[in-house]
Amino acid sequence: MSDDRAIRDLPAALDLAVFERVSDRVFKPLGLLPPWLKLTGSAEETDLADQFPMLEFFLPEFEAAWEPCGPSITSDVWTETDPRGGEQYLQAVAASAGGRRFLVLKTLPPERGKYQQESHDFQLAKLEVERYKLAAERANQAKTDFLATMSHEIRTPLNAIIGMADVLSATELTQEQRRCVEVSQRNGVGLLTLINDILDLSKVESGHVELEATEMDLREVIDRASDVVEQRVTGKGLTLGKAIAPGVPVYLIGDPNRLRQVIINLLGNSIKFTEKGELRVTVETDPEDARPGCLRFAVSDTGIGIPPDKLDSVFESFTQADSSTTRKYGGTGLGLTISKQLVELMGGRIWVESTVGTGSTFFFTVKLSVQQDQSERSRAPARDEKSASAEQNRLAPGMRILLADDSDDNRFLILSYLNKTGAAVDIAEDGDVAVRLFRRNPYDVVLMDVEMPVMDGHAATREIRRFERETGAEPTTVLALTAHAFLDAWEKARESGFTDLLTKPIRKTDLLEALSKYPARSAQPGAPAIPRVTVMVEAGMEDVVPGYLAKRRAEVAVYRQALADGNFETIRMLAHKTKGTGAGYGFPVLTELGAVLEKAAQRRDAGEIRTRTDELAGYLASVELEYTK
Amino acid sequence: MSKCKICLLGSFGVGKTSLVARFVRSDFSDKYHTTVGVKIDKKTLAVDGEEAIAMVWDMAGEEDNAPVNLKQLRDASGYLLVVDGTRSSTLDVARSIQDRVETEIGKQPFLLLVNKVDLRESWEIPDSAWEDLAARGWTILETSAKTGEHVEEAFRTLTSRILQARRDAEDADE
Repeated sequence: MSDDRAIRDLPAALDLAVFERVSDRVFKPLGLLPPWLKLTGSAEETDLADQFPMLEFFLPEFEAAWEPCGPSITSDVWTETDPRGGEQYLQAVAASAGGRRFLVLKTLPPERGKYQQESHDFQLAKLEVERYKLAAERANQAKTDFLATMSHEIRTPLNAIIGMADVLSATELTQEQRRCVEVSQRNGVGLLTLINDILDLSKVESGHVELEATEMDLREVIDRASDVVEQRVTGKGLTLGKAIAPGVPVYLIGDPNRLRQVIINLLGNSIKFTEKGELRVTVETDPEDARPGCLRFAVSDTGIGIPPDKLDSVFESFTQADSSTTRKYGGTGLGLTISKQLVELMGGRIWVESTVGTGSTFFFTVKLSVQQDQSERSRAPARDEKSASAEQNRLAPGMRILLADDSDDNRFLILSYLNKTGAAVDIAEDGDVAVRLFRRNPYDVVLMDVEMPVMDGHAATREIRRFERETGAEPTTVLALTAHAFLDAWEKARESGFTDLLTKPIRKTDLLEALSKYPARSAQPGAPAIPRVTVMVEAGMEDVVPGYLAKRRAEVAVYRQALADGNFETIRMLAHKTKGTGAGYGFPVLTELGAVLEKAAQRRDAGEIRTRTDELAGYLASVELEYTK
Repeated sequence: MSKCKICLLGSFGVGKTSLVARFVRSDFSDKYHTTVGVKIDKKTLAVDGEEAIAMVWDMAGEEDNAPVNLKQLRDASGYLLVVDGTRSSTLDVARSIQDRVETEIGKQPFLLLVNKVDLRESWEIPDSAWEDLAARGWTILETSAKTGEHVEEAFRTLTSRILQARRDAEDADE
């Protein structure tokens, strides 16, 4: 008897409900039913398909299982709410044995739902995070766009204000007038600095500062930073010392401009709070990280110092140690905040140690890469820059400049800057005019406004570069003039083919310094300005001559490359062909030059080939076709 | 009384279970609760002067490694495709499911429900997407299981279409 009970209780003990099919949809429970099944009693026959619609769906499929010797069939999983409000995950199995047809209902462990729940929760949470990230990025982009526009709008009039003050100060003025101009200049520059700081900070904060990774000379970075503050240092009767500890690698890879910016900010800060004594910039290997390229900079002063409780807050935006210092010493306190952000971008940290009344030392660390070659060979010219700038921005004599700007004010300003420099300036009111002038005349430098009607600076520069490629001419320096101060502006400019970028407001010293870097090629002896050569195209040749000329122009680059590779055979072959065809197409000069080049190639005379290739390029650039009507 | 088997299909987390809870029990919970397998509910409703029992099959949402079990659509009368307006990927899933249903099961009455209209300001699917689908003849309803907006209407509209289709088929038989 007790064995029977055990058998009867087995299904319930195994958490299974076992039924035998009585007819179509009616099933009779066998043994005890587990508590999750809300059936009452154990012997009653019931319409299970009515109770579980899922079974109704599976009954037709189960028929196969209830055939004699049919295979057992398992249903899909479904969910039922149990009487207590919880959920059960069920599955039905149909099977037959000894001519009897059975149906077993079983529950699946709750983990089944738990895993799925966790997986879905995780995926939904991830989407939520992505959504917030996207929203934040959009907001940031809007902010950056706004700042870029504002920066342009503010800098353009400032350009005119500061520039005109500069021009005015170079004229004869009474003492009173000079004082007025100086106040105007000083405040203009102050306002510009403030705008730059605010823009810088928002760029860093919105993650829009991308650090460069270029080769740099640590000594040069420090020298150029100290050059910037030199006047203020000597003006206050202070001295400035610089030292790089022995063993510190000086040829590094990093962002020299941002590193210099930090040093200038710290020096500027020190100058502001120091009345007498000395400022020092020192660099040593980071004592806490001995890897090469991990450096610790220290900028120390003998100034008023910072109270201990204010040491941390000096790096916060718009904070100086004491709010009254703002009134006394000026400044926004943004410089240190920007420095902190930049230093952190460079993988380091910044802090200050100070004694009130004795002075402060600002430390910062950076993690830079070290160039493999630390030897001084073949680098000497790089260090000449300071002596060059000491020559006070003298332009190369006879420099020919093409200025493209649609604004009368800007053109007048730049022209007045260039007045008395001996430069010859041609004017273009838009990019299209600039390109046409460029095709006709040789220039040493093109100053190209970026935003112009008809054809903007980007398109015009691309056109100029295309022309140079076609004629095989050396690339001319094309400087972008733009009021957009963002990094994107420079990237875009570089893509268009600009050599460098000058940010408006452009000050006289900046312009002259930029121009002084470039030689006056067109005025060099032996390279006279290219005269225009007009060649009449014979009737019937109109369709072939331009193509012939374009091919010869394209060949100039091949000559140069072959010369660089020492591939004289290629030069000989090209020259031979030109010799044979030039006159036939109406260009006897090409035949002559081809003959000279061919001979030079046979002699392997690189000097002669170079000269003649230049001559060829010059001729091809100067040729203008005229068609007989 | 006619029985209509209505399946809810769509990506996981779009609110299928919530729509059923709103429709069957006038209930709503903010807490996300995943559906294991399928959960079947029923509700009697009167449509076009006719009483019908809606057997609502709330099917587990589709996810990358678990496509919906289309086998369960056998003998279904129609289906509701549910999209979460705040997740554009759920529209792609809905389109893909509709495509598979049409290929594997055949044409059936269906509606597209763009759920979570209460969160309209954070919808990321552009209106043009709906216009495209409407142009293809899809009926689209913006629903909110949270507020109940258009939920009852969605089930009623589909049921009405199912019954109409049946009447049309019967007329054709005669």
